[in-house]
Amino acid sequence: MSLTFKKETFRDDYTFYNSPAAIKRFPFPFPEDEYMYSVNIEPHVKTQPGSVTEFLLDIDEHYVAECADKEITLAADPERFLALPHMMDAQWDALELIMEAMSNDYPDQFTLTKDGSNWHWTNKPLGLSQKFVFGDPSTLPMEPLNYIGRQVQGDWVLLDQRDNNLFADCAMVTSQADWSLAIDVGMSFNEWHGPVPLANETGVFDRALKYLLNLQLGSPVRRLNWTMTVNPRMDTSPENYPLWGPEKVTVTPENVGEKVHLRVELQTLFRLPRSNGQAFSIRCYLISLEELATYPRWAKRIHRVLKDLHPALAEYKGLIYKDMVVDWLSKYDDGAPLDTGTHPE
Amino acid sequence: MDRQYWIRSKPVYTSLMWHEKATAHCVIAAGDGGMEVLKLLQQKYPAQPVTGFFAKNQKTLKDYSEVISRLAPDEFSVFANEDAAIDSLRNFLPNCYMGTRFYVAGSEAFIWSVAHELANFGVQDDDINKQLCGTLARSVYCVHCKTVTHDVTHNIVECSGCQRNLFVRDHFSRRLGGYMGLMIDAEEPGNVPPIEEVYP
Amino acid sequence: MSYLNVKVAEIEQVTEVVKRFSLVDVNGEKLPSFSGGSHIVVAMDINGRTHRNPYSLMSSPEKTDSYNIAVRKQEYSRGGSVFMHEQITVGTELQITYPANLFSISKLGRKNILIAGGIGITPFMSQIVDLNRLGTEYEMHYAYRSPEHGAFSDQLIEMCGEQVHFYIESEGQKLDFMTLLAKQPLGTHVYVCGPEPMVDALVAAARELGWPEKHIHNEQFSAPQAGAPFKVKLAVSDIEIEVPSELSMLEAIEAAGVDAPYLCRGGACGQCEVEVLQCDGQIMHNDHYLTDAEKNNGKKILPCVSRANCQNMVIKL
Repeated sequence: MSLTFKKETFRDDYTFYNSPAAIKRFPFPFPEDEYMYSVNIEPHVKTQPGSVTEFLLDIDEHYVAECADKEITLAADPERFLALPHMMDAQWDALELIMEAMSNDYPDQFTLTKDGSNWHWTNKPLGLSQKFVFGDPSTLPMEPLNYIGRQVQGDWVLLDQRDNNLFADCAMVTSQADWSLAIDVGMSFNEWHGPVPLANETGVFDRALKYLLNLQLGSPVRRLNWTMTVNPRMDTSPENYPLWGPEKVTVTPENVGEKVHLRVELQTLFRLPRSNGQAFSIRCYLISLEELATYPRWAKRIHRVLKDLHPALAEYKGLIYKDMVVDWLSKYDDGAPLDTGTHPE
Repeated sequence: MDRQYWIRSKPVYTSLMWHEKATAHCVIAAGDGGMEVLKLLQQKYPAQPVTGFFAKNQKTLKDYSEVISRLAPDEFSVFANEDAAIDSLRNFLPNCYMGTRFYVAGSEAFIWSVAHELANFGVQDDDINKQLCGTLARSVYCVHCKTVTHDVTHNIVECSGCQRNLFVRDHFSRRLGGYMGLMIDAEEPGNVPPIEEVYP
Repeated sequence: MSYLNVKVAEIEQVTEVVKRFSLVDVNGEKLPSFSGGSHIVVAMDINGRTHRNPYSLMSSPEKTDSYNIAVRKQEYSRGGSVFMHEQITVGTELQITYPANLFSISKLGRKNILIAGGIGITPFMSQIVDLNRLGTEYEMHYAYRSPEHGAFSDQLIEMCGEQVHFYIESEGQKLDFMTLLAKQPLGTHVYVCGPEPMVDALVAAARELGWPEKHIHNEQFSAPQAGAPFKVKLAVSDIEIEVPSELSMLEAIEAAGVDAPYLCRGGACGQCEVEVLQCDGQIMHNDHYLTDAEKNNGKKILPCVSRANCQNMVIKL
């Protein structure tokens, strides 16, 4: 597969943009005109070539730039990686998962050779080469998830399964939609979902937890989550809210198409073999409204979803500019019925 | 002030009641938690041994140490402050056996300090009887500068570390023993909503 | 559900009634890594019907060139253990599930007491490998009927050294649960696997001493019980099936071509739970998953192990 990595920024001058190919493969999350929470979990099976779910993990044109942005965030705040002491087995499980997926599916970019426990990993796009002993932390420059988490797109949360519950006991989090790892590390499934409105009423999280407790080795699952961001900013953490918060009020009817981005998370869950834990990957995709409107079908669909979005959800997702967005999108909506499905055309 | 739904991360506290099935009982209380100790002592006394730690606290109105010492002199030790009580507890725990039931009463900050000590010995916080006594004041963890500001009774507080105006969310971290504090006026600097006492 | 295709590489008669089977991937590749205490479900074709039985993995999670399971020949079985003992030979190919773990060691434990009765020793064999690797303190207490029934005792001495203790019933050695559990340090967890009366007695002792529920772990697979045949109507698929005496309800549903969810096949995980819309008789709950209230309510059933005594039953499948 030929991948051209772009040089772009996700902060300050915000030079990020999507190529036409990236726009076309964007994981548009709305199959219907209305949106409400559901346990929209499905098997993480491979889909057609070129799609974001063609492989176990998706590496795209933004790979090098995203990794660079991650490094900036981690350098400023090393606590974006936290690991409780009992999670070392899970970290090794996750490292194995990530390295094997990347080297199997993108062999031109990443290689992994094993001689018993002696592993050799090379990362061509980032120019890295590392020999280490699998299972021996002293042979890596930093803890396993800290090491490999910087070389894969998206956030990674490792969950310990115990007492019929899941606990977020280890994670690398640099592109989250406004939740704090420092606060949430060590929390149980229901605790970390605490702030989400309507969670109790719909029973969605109880059902999701029950389902995830029986997640099987070899059968990962996935779902999509979404919100919106002003400017293509990866680091929308509460920690740095003083930096990106002020940007939210700079949206005007003139710049809304360019500044406001749909932010979609492809969330994938994998059962981990040795630790019996779970790896929760949160892969973030950004697209500006203008780019989205390349496909009128998408513009229409998102117009309708946002127009009728439950106020509690709009508030929780921080969409203070929603009215401007809905106005801007309205010109694409002729009101004609739209079939279900997330395809662009 | 926070959204009108119950946040699942907020701990739920309950009155202390002796467990019928136990190998031993260990009670740790501070300040206004002394009242909760007295309520325990009014219940049918357990058959198994009881060991108690009571810390005096300057901030409380009533000093329960005298009554507790009089009612349960063999079981309870009194300490001048919370740190001393926790130090003593730390030395006691290696001698405890599985089947020891734990009871904690005091401010929220005290409760979770004790919970952390117990966690070092593999006691999970769900298994600790916890009752919040006296003040509802919250410890606030500023996500921006990572400083903890203690004894916060209002919905908004100036961070003791970075001086930002923080809105105190009800989202509670057991690990930190505190609530999430987030800058309230990042979007419109200076536009701070009314500051109200919500957790006296 | 994902499956692995394996073949039997080795069979060892361990005791009079216990056989050990070593399974390897049909293509000679390494099998997936797993956590100690995991089990696999083995599919077997008995008289033209597919039975699926769970077996604990007793091999090392670090050496996955093969998986080892041990099967005790049961006197009163539906044929699964008899099939394994008599029909399987070296070279037989089998379909198995990926490992799943309903009996994992808590990572927060500071000390672990492991208690096995008879063939219940199997899940501990893989757990001990993990515990040795992690350096966590543990004790293995293994009770069995008589010296010749102590399957794998030599291997245990090798793996555990002084941390293993044997209790041979025929020699009057008894494992006293209250004494064992009375003076354990804070943060100890206890794990038990064996005959139901033994498990019940251990759990009762731990509770009596005041051990919190989270520190008491037991693995209990029920084997599906044979029982009187009965009919069930599947409301959603709109078919009626007959559950013969030697098939579990789940097996009968699968035999009818209906794809029902399942995981452990032993009444422990709840994955196969299905809603009972109608039942004019008695449901026999043989599982360990539903609460007493749910069992009395009669609106749910775990078809992998439970049955019914009735004329009309309708389930939402």
